[in-house]
Amino acid sequence: MSPLATTLKTSLETEARQFHDVVDDHMDVPWQEFLQAWGELREIDILKRDDQGAYYIEKS
Amino acid sequence: MADKGFRSFLDDLDAAGELKKVTKPVDCRQLSALGEQADQATIFENIEGYPDWRVATALVSTRKRLAVAMDCTENRIAFEFEAKSARPIDPVTVKNAPCQEVVMEGDDVDLTSIPMPLMHLFDGGPYISGTFAISNDPEHGPNVGCYRLMYRTPKETGIDLVSPSDMRFYYQRALDKGEPLPIAIAVGVHPLDMLAASYKAPIDTSELALAGGLRGEALEMVKCKTVDLEVPADAEMILEGELLPIGWTADEGPFGEFSQISGDVKWNPIFRIKCITHRKNPIFYMLQMPWENDWLAAPVTEAAGLQALRIASVQPVDIRAPVGSCGYWSLIASIKKRPGEGKNAVAALLSVAEVKFVIVTDDDIDIYNPDELDWAIAFRVQADEDAVILKGARAKHIDPSVKSWLLGKGGLPTTAKLGIDATIPEGVPKILYRRIKNYGRDRIKLEDFE
Repeated sequence: MSPLATTLKTSLETEARQFHDVVDDHMDVPWQEFLQAWGELREIDILKRDDQGAYYIEKS
Repeated sequence: MADKGFRSFLDDLDAAGELKKVTKPVDCRQLSALGEQADQATIFENIEGYPDWRVATALVSTRKRLAVAMDCTENRIAFEFEAKSARPIDPVTVKNAPCQEVVMEGDDVDLTSIPMPLMHLFDGGPYISGTFAISNDPEHGPNVGCYRLMYRTPKETGIDLVSPSDMRFYYQRALDKGEPLPIAIAVGVHPLDMLAASYKAPIDTSELALAGGLRGEALEMVKCKTVDLEVPADAEMILEGELLPIGWTADEGPFGEFSQISGDVKWNPIFRIKCITHRKNPIFYMLQMPWENDWLAAPVTEAAGLQALRIASVQPVDIRAPVGSCGYWSLIASIKKRPGEGKNAVAALLSVAEVKFVIVTDDDIDIYNPDELDWAIAFRVQADEDAVILKGARAKHIDPSVKSWLLGKGGLPTTAKLGIDATIPEGVPKILYRRIKNYGRDRIKLEDFE
């Protein structure tokens, strides 16, 4: 897992966050790099949604 | 090569003074907010991190720009659509296509190489919003529709197949056999093609031939590289792949819907991409929600209303699908009425897709003037005689009032519909509706006294 994907994972294990909040936290990261990291989390199928549509990850 | 295409339409907008060019660098996270503020269609020519790409948006987010696409005046769009759609032209197949100048296949497929924007505050991810989606069914043949795609991974998107549609039907048939459904997505086609794709045609109607009719020339198609489908040759980009046979199980959304509502998380299939092809120096089309979608919906709804009225042997004079109803949920029509036809017209218009509110007036009412409509409703309507309610009709999930959250995954909602016959009631002498007219108004002019 890339360092950015690891950072995203840690953040979403801490609290549920809307996608735009996750984006806001990484505005300094090139968009393509951000999307690749997000895709890494999708590929391992760990992203969950709450009833507000926010993303979270259950701690393993 | 065909005369009409995405790029020729950009030229048409430019000639009409309706295209803004932004040359400063823009990040994909800024595109939607900038496009929404522009009072013209906009092309962003310098996309940070995507040097080969440009992004175009808001191409038909006003009725005026749609009229440019239709090459007619604004109040003739529905009638032009109806007339041209009655003269379909079958597509032709070509061997070489601009949309296949660059090919990414297999392991090279990478959606992150495309400048997908984050469009709205509560979206579940970046979206590809303006699609011309092609599928096929062994019995019913090719079908085209418009479906949004949410980025998931470099090779996968979500796809909104919640609402009833032909592609949903095709997908269900493939799913019943445990098979994937091959599809292809074209991005960056002429708005007339988008209109054809969003037309609520019977399942065996060819949207491709309809697009040809609207263009006045055959749509040129080219075979896909990896799936047995054909796609518009002059598109900017093509995504080839298949809908996985997983049913409605993957989270998708929210997305800023054409209903002007953010929507909620939906459960949908996954689109796995096998191949991406595009032009050299392609233009990504970001369909700006909701107005661009709504103005594309309006003439389709209006034309369907005209067709329903004609089938009911009612003579329409004017029709409009108000943009406040997203060009989709309401229809207002004026007719040349014979006894009883006010109700016939209401019934006919309520049969159109998910239209849930209808007003029918006589042809002396200007249906584009809200004061005229209010007047007709005030003085020609008795609620117990002229309001028609239909219960249990087909609905769309994105209407919160249908309470779709009470349904299971893949469930379909229903709605009640209201029609108002605001024509002069039978038996009321027409002299009672004689309008005030100032004495001498036709011959006495204020400017002669100034």
